Amino acid sequence: MEKKNAAMGTIDYPHTVGPVPEGKEVVLSVRNLAISFATDDGFVKAVRGVAFDLYKGETLCIVGESGSGKSVTSKTIMGILAGNAHIDSGSVTYEGEDLTKIAEDEFHRIRGTKIGMIFQDPLSSLNPIAKIGKQITEVMITNGNKVKKVYDNLINAELIKYKNDLRLLQIAKEEYKFIKKNKSSTPEQIAEAEAHYEAEKARLTPLIAEDKAALAAKKVEAKAKVKEFVGEIKARHKAKLNDLFAKAKEDPEAKKNLLANYISERRRYVSELKVTHKEAKRRALKIMAEVGIPHPEQRFNQYPFEFSGGMRQRIVIAIALTADPDILICDEPTTALDVTIQAQILELINRLKVARNMSVMFITHDLGVVANMADRVVVMYAGKIVEYGTAMDVFYTPAHPYTWALLSSIPDVDSKEKLEAIPGTPPNMLFPPEGDAFALRSKYAMGIDFKEEPKMYQISDTHYASTWLLDERAPEATMPKIVSTRIENSLRKAGMKDGE
Amino acid sequence: MANNVTYRPELVEEGTILSVENLKQYFGSGSFVTKAVDNVSFKIKEGECFGIVGESGCGKTTTGRSIINLYQITGGSIFYKGTRVSAGTREIEEEIKAAKKAKDTEKVAQLREELRARKYDNAHKDQDLTTEIQMIFQDPVDSLDPRMTVADIIQEGLHIQGMYDKASNSAKVADILEKVGLIPEYASRYPHEFSGGQRQRIGIARALIMNPKLLICDEPISALDVSIRAQVLNLLNEVKEEMGLTMIFIAHDLSVVKYFCDRIAVMYFGRLVELASSDELFAHPMHPYTRALLSAIPKPDPISEKNRVRKVYNPSSAHDYSESKPSFREIAPGHFVLCNDPEEEAYKKEMAEIDAKRGEANE
Repeated sequence: MEKKNAAMGTIDYPHTVGPVPEGKEVVLSVRNLAISFATDDGFVKAVRGVAFDLYKGETLCIVGESGSGKSVTSKTIMGILAGNAHIDSGSVTYEGEDLTKIAEDEFHRIRGTKIGMIFQDPLSSLNPIAKIGKQITEVMITNGNKVKKVYDNLINAELIKYKNDLRLLQIAKEEYKFIKKNKSSTPEQIAEAEAHYEAEKARLTPLIAEDKAALAAKKVEAKAKVKEFVGEIKARHKAKLNDLFAKAKEDPEAKKNLLANYISERRRYVSELKVTHKEAKRRALKIMAEVGIPHPEQRFNQYPFEFSGGMRQRIVIAIALTADPDILICDEPTTALDVTIQAQILELINRLKVARNMSVMFITHDLGVVANMADRVVVMYAGKIVEYGTAMDVFYTPAHPYTWALLSSIPDVDSKEKLEAIPGTPPNMLFPPEGDAFALRSKYAMGIDFKEEPKMYQISDTHYASTWLLDERAPEATMPKIVSTRIENSLRKAGMKDGE
Repeated sequence: MANNVTYRPELVEEGTILSVENLKQYFGSGSFVTKAVDNVSFKIKEGECFGIVGESGCGKTTTGRSIINLYQITGGSIFYKGTRVSAGTREIEEEIKAAKKAKDTEKVAQLREELRARKYDNAHKDQDLTTEIQMIFQDPVDSLDPRMTVADIIQEGLHIQGMYDKASNSAKVADILEKVGLIPEYASRYPHEFSGGQRQRIGIARALIMNPKLLICDEPISALDVSIRAQVLNLLNEVKEEMGLTMIFIAHDLSVVKYFCDRIAVMYFGRLVELASSDELFAHPMHPYTRALLSAIPKPDPISEKNRVRKVYNPSSAHDYSESKPSFREIAPGHFVLCNDPEEEAYKKEMAEIDAKRGEANE
């Protein structure tokens, strides 16, 4: 579904991602995503046409400096964009559904449970005045009402259909308002948008009424079923209690244990209705042990300030894991940590990824971390993907000048050459530059870089880059010497390893 | 010297610009004492770049701040150009108390004399000398007052030194802004108008306007973006060469320290555990903590990253200090390690083995 929005300027973003290699299963695919933020000064175009696939069981790293749109992309996937954000175009497909179009009620079933997220600063993402145990078990207990779950599952299909139709109407309305408010839209555009909105309204209103009726009917039906379900449990409980009392009357031995038996039966009954604190704690302790927190029993009752930075990040990971997600989005989880602790957390994420067969989306600006974690790498600059490929592709045969610049600007342990700093600062996204956004800071820039945006050039089956240097008409350009020597060195080292 | 501040000419003769002796910085009192820096000693030669690395909370920043006298130090002395610029008194006071309890009058008198000297040195500090030590702080956002213009921020140090001539001050500000790669017109702007890299440049300008000889950089690039880091590193390198600065570079990123520094000190829980020239430290890391730290550096190289074996440092299982206490010893020329007798032997042997192996590999 392509939305044309002339008021926003060009929207025809390139979006090649290449074919899915054999044996890989796509769990999440982002296509042609463009997001802008409405500010007093105008629209900040944070993401301008991003497309990638996330495969099952892999780690995809998104690299870029601050303001390159990497966090905004991940927030779109989670559906937690700020209020002034506007999705100009594109889709995020997960389990056959477009996450940018579904209703909030449906997102509740995905966010946190199927897609988990870990944030950058472990101190500010924990509640300072709640015990760790409470924070880990909170989700399980809130979602732990088993009777309500039965009811929710019964009415789920109808509810979501109703809410999604409502949402579609809302999107159409917002879009119309958005164009109406935009000072640069022409009267024709406004008229067109209004016509579109009216058409949508005419189409959707009867549908919504239908959905509403269906939902109401289903609700009545579901309530009866739930009553039956609860009645069964209650009857079973009552029968058991009666049985206990009857036995106690006859047998003095049983009379002695009556209280204990009564309590245990009562507990069993409650745990059939909801997740008890005890069960939640048992599960929480298991997960705490899994993420490597020593003495979980003791730690369960402590406050966040009693933990070190690394331990706090483990707690955050534990909270994300309680729901057993398919996809884990890590937004710079180690930036606030020390090297040694960082290495531990990276190992932990890698271990959990394999053990739970999760897909991990890892956002960072540290290329060393990327080399450690990534199966595939996406390099972003000024809201666009400039290069992507497997870790081997991007690190050993980088093709985009920005990737070269990134690689040459970090000091290397083995050499003391003068660093090649990237001159200037990232562009102001209120006025995104025409053509190749990196051209202004690149010494490889050609005339065309300032006029026309390069398309994604395919380098190998898995490797793509968006730079005019790969065009057949472009002059020969080689990467900076500092990068090529480093690559040579590391490949030689690896070769020696193979030889042994 | 006009006054009677402790002066050690031998330090100047051997070219030492800064000498830190048994520096102790404790926080808290009574039974809640945190030994942030515990008995740290090192000497910095003129013109050299000295790196301090360690994990957060190991006391590297506290060391830097103690040197510049942001804290009243607990014990030890700091000599700058042979003159004592800071001396710890609390430790001596505690000792006097202990000696009084033991009724050791002779020692009490001796300690009192020492205390008097230290207090005298602290009170008669040479301001001109101490302004030659300047510091660059970690967070360029927090370290600049949002309500002062760039010019005010930069010339505040001059005001403190009693230089109020507006014309010459603004000329100096313009000069220094140009030196750090900013335009003199920026002087009238406020910090919020600048990006992170530019703010850090303002922080550097503020330190440089005092014409320092010794610059303490406390993680100057860790709060910056990747593409900006190299710019700031190159700038620091340039001013270092141009002004002939001596630098103390505090960081937790070993690859940056290795790139920038001549000698590196590794700190762990308030103590120095290893000190060597940067090449030597990377060639022969001896202390297990140094090794753990080195094995944790992420490199932009997928093959070596995926095969990396991270070493874990556990102080209680790595050392057996039940019999003999460790001390800071020189196991090779210029290479110091915190160790005891058996460990010293083992380290020396290991070092020889590594050299032999490397020699074979080269042949």
